[in-house]
Amino acid sequence: MSKHCKTFDHTADVGLEARADTLAELYEALAEGMAELICTRSSVVPAETRTLAVAAEDREALAVDFLAEVLGLVETERLMVASVKVRMSGETALTATVRCEAYNPGRHEIRTEVKAVTYHMLSVVEEGGHWTGTVVLDL
Amino acid sequence: MSKDFQGRLEQIDANRWRIPKDSRPDMRVDGIIYASAELIDDARSGGGLEQVANVATLPGIVRASLAMPDIHWGYGFCIGGVAATDVESGGIVSPGGVGYDINCGVRLLRSELPVDEVQPRLKSLVNQLFRDTPVGVGVGGPFEFSAKELKRLTAAGARYLLGRGLATQEDIETTESNGCLEGADPEVVSDEALKRGGDQCGTLGAGNHFVEIQVIDEIYDEPAADAMGLKRGFMAVMIHSGSRGLGHQVCQDAIKALRSAVQQYGIQLPDRQLVCAPVDSPQGRQYLGAMRAAANYAWCNRQLLAAQIRQTLERFFGQSSEALGLRQVYDVAHNIAKIETHTVEGRPRKLCVHRKGATRAFPPGHPELPEIYRATGQPVIIPGSMGTASYVLLGTQTAMEQTFGSTCHGAGRVLSRQAAIQKARGRRIDEELARQGIHARARGRTGLAEEQPAAYKDIDAVVQCVAAAGLSKKVARCRPLCVIKG
Repeated sequence: MSKHCKTFDHTADVGLEARADTLAELYEALAEGMAELICTRSSVVPAETRTLAVAAEDREALAVDFLAEVLGLVETERLMVASVKVRMSGETALTATVRCEAYNPGRHEIRTEVKAVTYHMLSVVEEGGHWTGTVVLDL
Repeated sequence: MSKDFQGRLEQIDANRWRIPKDSRPDMRVDGIIYASAELIDDARSGGGLEQVANVATLPGIVRASLAMPDIHWGYGFCIGGVAATDVESGGIVSPGGVGYDINCGVRLLRSELPVDEVQPRLKSLVNQLFRDTPVGVGVGGPFEFSAKELKRLTAAGARYLLGRGLATQEDIETTESNGCLEGADPEVVSDEALKRGGDQCGTLGAGNHFVEIQVIDEIYDEPAADAMGLKRGFMAVMIHSGSRGLGHQVCQDAIKALRSAVQQYGIQLPDRQLVCAPVDSPQGRQYLGAMRAAANYAWCNRQLLAAQIRQTLERFFGQSSEALGLRQVYDVAHNIAKIETHTVEGRPRKLCVHRKGATRAFPPGHPELPEIYRATGQPVIIPGSMGTASYVLLGTQTAMEQTFGSTCHGAGRVLSRQAAIQKARGRRIDEELARQGIHARARGRTGLAEEQPAAYKDIDAVVQCVAAAGLSKKVARCRPLCVIKG
């Protein structure tokens, strides 16, 4: 597997720690990790598609802004996320295709309410041919 | 994350500690932490003290970077953090000094219902409240506001609900700032924030938000308790909630917008989460306009929650609110920034006072207090963690002189959610609470575990510290009987 994301404990909130072979896959892993926290992705049928275009001043800010946009789909359009595909434009801009489904209380259990994406412990770094990223989410 | 503080920490007296400003080249003022010897040990680990030192670097900060005894790590400012900046000297405003949950706060209602009449029916009461109160993740409420209505609501605050049968004049007068920060600018609240807030006004949310039915079990100051209508052995209702998704989005939007302001104004920051702009700047004014709108939304949220709870209690006890004597004592904010006048070095100065997990505590005689509390001082509502006592305090002149009229806000977290869940493994927290006479219902699977008393500092120690330091005076203690959580 070229990308994965795990959570870590953080005071009243939760952190995401992702690792991937490419920068695009890192952002995918972080977004899918956040989506998994909110609602089990395997319960989501990828019936709809949303496209997001995000640019920021650096890779770290891009991670926050991108995850905030994905969170926006959940919070304002009540969409549950199945998968995310990212294409980079340089290292500080991306386009993402988000496969998702309208919230269905019969099939989708909201596991965690993510309220915001923070800048705490924020990192996106390349080391040893891999990319790693850390983001803390406010619950 | 646990990180022991590596800087210098000097004891000032039994309840105060100092991080000297010369311990770091970028600090403009000292850091002053209110804590007993017992509480300072907690504060040394976890990162809160480092944040007190970080806040001391902010442009325009006056007197000191302060922390209350419920200090724990937060985003930017620590929780329990208080800092004031001089508006006329380029002082900044920072969303990190308010928090994501803008105007998270607490409301207390008292009653004429003796607890003996409530006790036999507690289980039914908690179940009824749980059915009737919109609580939990993803749960919308019965009130839905269009974007246009939300703009009016966020401009007017709780007054918007007057004349709709959802608020009384007394409710407004016994709410901090009369339930409305003037200068709110709904036009700078994003569409996304308005969408998130559309069906959440009048909902409790999750996390550490709660509704409690309580009994007043101790009175420490009879005249003050009398002014508030608090009587030993009588039922009270406490509501802890904030600005829901709207506030979180306003904060998220503001931090993004202020990232470029920091460079524009040449501000060096030790922590990105402290992004800020001068109060007197387009970006500062924009954030304050949006923050005030979110604060006003939160007061409407607590007002609508109170209206729904009143209806539930009326139906349950078969009596009107008037017959039950159900009246608001006070409503306080504990995540907010306000422009206030305070005396610094002998002269009055216009300051931007940030209270992040800290509560305003104005003294007797303060003109901002309603007439009924002018003689006693401002009621301060301090919620305990689930299953522990809450307190009602009074603001003091000492607080005005030392902490810009501020005091603690609650217990402060010591265990992470995961650690609390692990600690609860194999245990039934609801049964443990029931053995203490507390009936608790939570919507989520892990809500009770995450919020168990062991996850928080000792509220008694926190309150004892602010009382010993002279920042607040104890009026009453409230013991929980029923708790509902998300």
